[in-house]
Amino acid sequence: MKKILSLILCALLICGTACAAFAEETKIVFCVNIQPQLPLEFWQSIADRYMAAKPDVKVEIIGNPSSNVTLPQYEKTLLATDQFPDIMVMQNPADFVPSGALLAFDEGDLDYLADPNVGKIDGKQYVANYKKQIIGVFYNKDMFAANGIEVPQTWQALVDASETLLAAGIQPFSLGLKDGWPQGQLANMFAGTDLLAKDLHWGAKRNADEVKFNNPDLQKAMEKYQTICTKYCGSNITGITYTQMLEQFFTGKAAMLPIGSWVNAEVAKAEQDFEVGWFTLPGDEDANVVSVFVNEGLSIGADTKYPEVCKDFIHFFFTDKELYGEFLKSEQLFSTTKETVEYDMIPLRKDMEEQIANMTEVEGFESMTGDDAFLPGLKDYFTNKMTQNIAIGADVASELDAFDEEWEIAKEAIDDAA
Amino acid sequence: MKHNKLHDTLLVAPGYLIYTVFMIIPLGMCFFYSFTNWDGISKNYKMIGLKNFRRLFADADFYNALKVTLIITVITVLIYNVLGVLLAVLLNRKSRACAFTKSAVFVPTVLSSVVVAFIWSYIMQTDGGVINTVLGVFGIAPYDFYATPLRTIVMISVIIAWNGLGLFLVIYVATLNTIPTELMEAAEVDGASGVQRFFKITLPLMMPGITINSILSMAGGLKQYDHVKVITGGGPGGATQTITLLSVEKAFEYNRRGYSSAIILVLFVMIVIVSAVQLSITKRREVKY
Repeated sequence: MKKILSLILCALLICGTACAAFAEETKIVFCVNIQPQLPLEFWQSIADRYMAAKPDVKVEIIGNPSSNVTLPQYEKTLLATDQFPDIMVMQNPADFVPSGALLAFDEGDLDYLADPNVGKIDGKQYVANYKKQIIGVFYNKDMFAANGIEVPQTWQALVDASETLLAAGIQPFSLGLKDGWPQGQLANMFAGTDLLAKDLHWGAKRNADEVKFNNPDLQKAMEKYQTICTKYCGSNITGITYTQMLEQFFTGKAAMLPIGSWVNAEVAKAEQDFEVGWFTLPGDEDANVVSVFVNEGLSIGADTKYPEVCKDFIHFFFTDKELYGEFLKSEQLFSTTKETVEYDMIPLRKDMEEQIANMTEVEGFESMTGDDAFLPGLKDYFTNKMTQNIAIGADVASELDAFDEEWEIAKEAIDDAA
Repeated sequence: MKHNKLHDTLLVAPGYLIYTVFMIIPLGMCFFYSFTNWDGISKNYKMIGLKNFRRLFADADFYNALKVTLIITVITVLIYNVLGVLLAVLLNRKSRACAFTKSAVFVPTVLSSVVVAFIWSYIMQTDGGVINTVLGVFGIAPYDFYATPLRTIVMISVIIAWNGLGLFLVIYVATLNTIPTELMEAAEVDGASGVQRFFKITLPLMMPGITINSILSMAGGLKQYDHVKVITGGGPGGATQTITLLSVEKAFEYNRRGYSSAIILVLFVMIVIVSAVQLSITKRREVKY
């Protein structure tokens, strides 16, 4: 009897193990971009909602472990160690596509997006762009009014406004180099206004080596940028962090904050005791160009075992209006879907939308997408090196020459690998 | 006791295995990749001979990183060893004040370098930092610790030394305790002054400790990464970048793992040469009694 019972138990054990093996759950790993406005809990709520809708799928959330490691750096580490996620927030696909790390979407996969073609690389789409952000200048309306300053419509008017503020003992701009990236936003705006507005696909021409970074338009743009950094940002620009920039502006220590529309999330907190306005950086003649970032979205790893599940997850993210609305609300973003997604917008965000309605949109210089995107590594060179050097007074022409040399090295690396 | 070869081999095998997996193999891989154009993420790469090294020795960023690394190394080695020896001699007494001071100097050593760097970056913040707030109370204008790259590098070096001095002090105190008291007493009886005793007896007999500490501090300075990463990130414009920081930047931001491996290999060779030279110099000065 004991023998028979033992045999039955063994048989049950074997059957159970076999069934468990056959019924292996579908698990996808989602690498997210953790930020103050989009904490881990937010991303987990997306995963939870999807898992509730699809009980046979398990979504595991991972994110860059520290603010000292950028998301692209973290993703490169994952890729180098064979831990590349199934789905990920992607900021610069141009760094990953040459290595074959990303899965291209098929025609029609992203039909729910307003422009599924934005940022295509060699005719293929690797990113489902999930937000549009604009960069411009937030300003203290009360300070402007008290000093009789109108919103500047030309570069000269901006310089005059800055001089007026300086004369009144007010620091015109809040800007810092310590975190490495915020100053790049101002440089992006000048490059957009003076260079990209003349040729929206200048980036593709640079990639084809038909033009150089050291050209009169970009030189003019960077000289303007240097003027602002060296004259109107206070005496300790090198020691100021992004958080301190916000603090300087929102406590009334500086009159203008040149940064992206994500700062609307701070404006929405309404902790400042003045009215915040926004304008686009003016050019020589007018203020009719706005730089936009459309470089971030969701991508799928080329080696995922579950490409269809990943596509379904991305579809779910965009088409669950409540979920996508929450995402947009976090930073008062501009949606990228065909269908309008309503969320609780602050008045300044609505004002921005009205202001840019008839403006020329150019991509943020450092984050151009698709065939216009910088070669791998050059985005970091632009933000971490060139714009910082120019901000502390380096010769603009020499810096642009060095940028061209860096382009040669990056190009050679790509050609070597081909 | 009779030695059993198999027994001995089994005892040392785990140590050799760990050393091989975590030291020899990565070093070998670094050596190999330094001759390739691997981007760190592709499955394919090509052998490109000495191209990475030729580019490296023509790279202004590398020379700047080398300069920064050397400044940090010189300052920290001086503080660790000169101040370390002096503090060890001064504190090598049995009193509560000395015990307390030794503990106070040692406490930062147990803190994570990242934590220390964050604490100090808040302390030295130009706008609202502790030091400048205190200066403001006395009506003194704020001091900009980040005004020039050199000032920032010196400041970082002092922070590194503050963080690590305790360990070096412990080694020096331990070395001091190995010096026989009879020698000191004999010298005192012979009429040698305190300064003479220090230079003629204490310092020569501390040479084994100085050898260890100078090599450890030199290698630590040349490998410096974490404090600089947290405090400046190597900026502005790479002006405060160390060699290790440059290497990580090239690997993970510029997708040039082969080039980055070449940088690390050069650093490795530098550390080996400097340590060997240092060892031969200090060993010669060690005295036996």
